[in-house]
Amino acid sequence: MTVHEKSAWIMTFALLVGGIFYGLTVAAMSSGLGMIAPPVLPTVLIYTIILIIIAIVGHILAATSSPADANEVVDERQRRIADKAGHLSAYVLGIGVLSALGLYLLTYNGNLMFYVLFASWMLSQLLEYVMQIVLHRQGVY
Amino acid sequence: MSKSLPFANRVRELRELHGPMTQTDLGKAVGVTRQTIAAIEVGKYSPSLESAFRIARVFGVGIEDVFFWTG
Repeated sequence: MTVHEKSAWIMTFALLVGGIFYGLTVAAMSSGLGMIAPPVLPTVLIYTIILIIIAIVGHILAATSSPADANEVVDERQRRIADKAGHLSAYVLGIGVLSALGLYLLTYNGNLMFYVLFASWMLSQLLEYVMQIVLHRQGVY
Repeated sequence: MSKSLPFANRVRELRELHGPMTQTDLGKAVGVTRQTIAAIEVGKYSPSLESAFRIARVFGVGIEDVFFWTG
């Protein structure tokens, strides 16, 4: 497994853990309020910190487990994988942004727009890393 | 996602004839990772034209001696 594939696994895990935390927190806040809770900075900050900690610890562990590969350069195959994965995730983000804007025009609910935008970003990132893993395993042409 | 390429290669065979040479050695000579050489050998990656020429140069043969059409 290349360093880049390990990195994709780490980031997938980080995004899943962060996303689950964020989703559960917002769901709990919303059920307490009886409406869609407004987005709050502390929750976003904790989400960001979760991502950063898992990313740093994961990459340190990956580098120490195979020091010889730690400084592996990005070659043409890695670039093609990153390009393909990024291309697909850009579509998801684009659809999410358009959906959020359309939803706002229909509901004028800024909180909902924030969550749809944030979820689109999380989903697009997650898809990008999952696609990288898939392309590493199945091959890229 | 999985598909078969319309061409095959003799990279593994030539590598074993030259030394044998490891995937890491060939990767360093060509400028790609060991995993990329492994992917080329099993047909999970079609290298760029530049890398294909570099691989042929390492073995001292023509590109058509390494990669051949099977489609």
